[in-house]
Amino acid sequence: MSVLELQNIIKNYPDGQNVNEVLKNVSFHVEQGEFAAIIGPSGAGKSTLLTIMGALLSPSSGTVLLNNQDISHLSKKKQTEIRLNQIGFIFQNSDLIPYLKITEQLQFIQKISAKEPLNAKKLLQQLGLDHRLNSYPNALSGGEKQRVAIARAFINQPDLILADEPTASLDSKRGREVVKIIQKNVHQQNKAAVMVTHDERVLDLVDTIWQIEDGKLKKIKNH
Amino acid sequence: MYLTLKELRHDKLKFSALGLIIFLIVFLVLFITGLANGLANDSGSAIKETPAKTFILQKGSQARLNRSNLTEQDWQKFHSQYHNDAAKLSVAQMTIQKANNADKKTDITYFILDRSSFLAPTALKSQTDNHVYVSRKLEAEGYKKDDIFKDSSSGNTFKIAGFVNNESYSHAPVIYLNTHQAQNILPTSKQFNAIALKQKLAKNSKYQVISQQTLINNIPGYSTEQSSLYLMIGFLYLISLFVLAVFFYIINLQKISDFGTLKALGTKTSYLVQHVLTEMGLLSGIAILISFGITYLIKIKMPASMPFSLTLPTLLATGLLFLFIALLSALLSLIKVLKIDPINAIGGNN
Repeated sequence: MSVLELQNIIKNYPDGQNVNEVLKNVSFHVEQGEFAAIIGPSGAGKSTLLTIMGALLSPSSGTVLLNNQDISHLSKKKQTEIRLNQIGFIFQNSDLIPYLKITEQLQFIQKISAKEPLNAKKLLQQLGLDHRLNSYPNALSGGEKQRVAIARAFINQPDLILADEPTASLDSKRGREVVKIIQKNVHQQNKAAVMVTHDERVLDLVDTIWQIEDGKLKKIKNH
Repeated sequence: MYLTLKELRHDKLKFSALGLIIFLIVFLVLFITGLANGLANDSGSAIKETPAKTFILQKGSQARLNRSNLTEQDWQKFHSQYHNDAAKLSVAQMTIQKANNADKKTDITYFILDRSSFLAPTALKSQTDNHVYVSRKLEAEGYKKDDIFKDSSSGNTFKIAGFVNNESYSHAPVIYLNTHQAQNILPTSKQFNAIALKQKLAKNSKYQVISQQTLINNIPGYSTEQSSLYLMIGFLYLISLFVLAVFFYIINLQKISDFGTLKALGTKTSYLVQHVLTEMGLLSGIAILISFGITYLIKIKMPASMPFSLTLPTLLATGLLFLFIALLSALLSLIKVLKIDPINAIGGNN
């Protein structure tokens, strides 16, 4: 069963007098335990696609099914709720909150969510962050920050993980490590994950690869 | 609250600096308010602290005691109607000096009244011969109990029988005389300035009828002092509203990307609004409490010659008003926070 399914998504932006069609009839799906990657040149619509998957943006037309629920035209409030409880985000620059210690980054998510809390410390220890539990983000290396961001994405046990170029600010070795961690957790916990990336060197770690070009999406590697 | 406390803990320096600014403004407001109240007391407390609600003055006296002259006939009219709820009052601004030192003169105000009238402080009931009760303010001029002073113009001497509270009139300490004692000082002592009534009275076509507050407002200098000080206080509130709004706005501006991330992670906008308001409220609350403390110390240490008065209700009201202003400023600064689109968190810099 698909965790996330996009059906005939079109997204238009007004561009002066014209209309700029960023996504042209895009369809996509990702299953439980599947790690999918979306690749493509800049400006191809990768980010727009990810924001639609992440209930941050509504498509101009088409259906977005998350666990069989149509989330394409929900209110802002409902979207926020979906993001909190069903989606875990990993951002490009990790985007940790500067005034929260590492454990608190996770505790905060648990605080605003009604879900049964996991052991945040244990999760961080599994990601090799034992010695960093009481540090602020500015004391961490880029790889460590991204590992905290991964922990933050998984802590609320979402069904879907969305990663936006998680290796962009890392060297190839650290970038590969980070993607490996995502892959491992996705498979272990049987989650669905979508990663948007430029980085072709990590593509051997994913299960399926989709390519986007000029607003059209096609699958180029099968499970 | 969770985010608020963590953020205050992390950015101690930034928030201490902001707290310091709030503290300085609140302190200035409290200080000027205290001064305004002090000056108001210094100007009119001898009238304000009486139970009189209404004053009857001669028609055309423009609410000034010293411009009003009433006669025994006028008194009979009111006395027969109000009995002991009416009282004669004369006010004379004069100069006294220490009996043995002609160089040191002090401006004072004589309050001339009947010993038994309701205007007289209780201590006056036992005032005899040349023994008089005077305002405690005279102590600051070096007068003590049993000192003898001389009325500079008439040369009469009086002995200080005791002090009553800090009563003063037009910034001069009050000396209470009964009509008998005043005869030697004021030749026209058959006449008097006003009749005080315990009741409220709206109008009387033959006299000027004014309330206690109107009388105080017309004490020479009172309105000018008060209006200029209250103008300053008003402007301070207005300035702080905008200064704080700008500061809060800038602080929130620095955190826009954090707010974007928080929203993308599923934090409700209402939670963020609450976070900002708690943060600013907490900060202002602490700053206000500290300024309460400092103001209290100042109040104790202030010399008697510098009038300063701040009652607990005024203190609390000022504090609450300021907290309200701070929260209003925080609300103004929130406009930006409400508009942040969580979408900014995705795509890094595009």
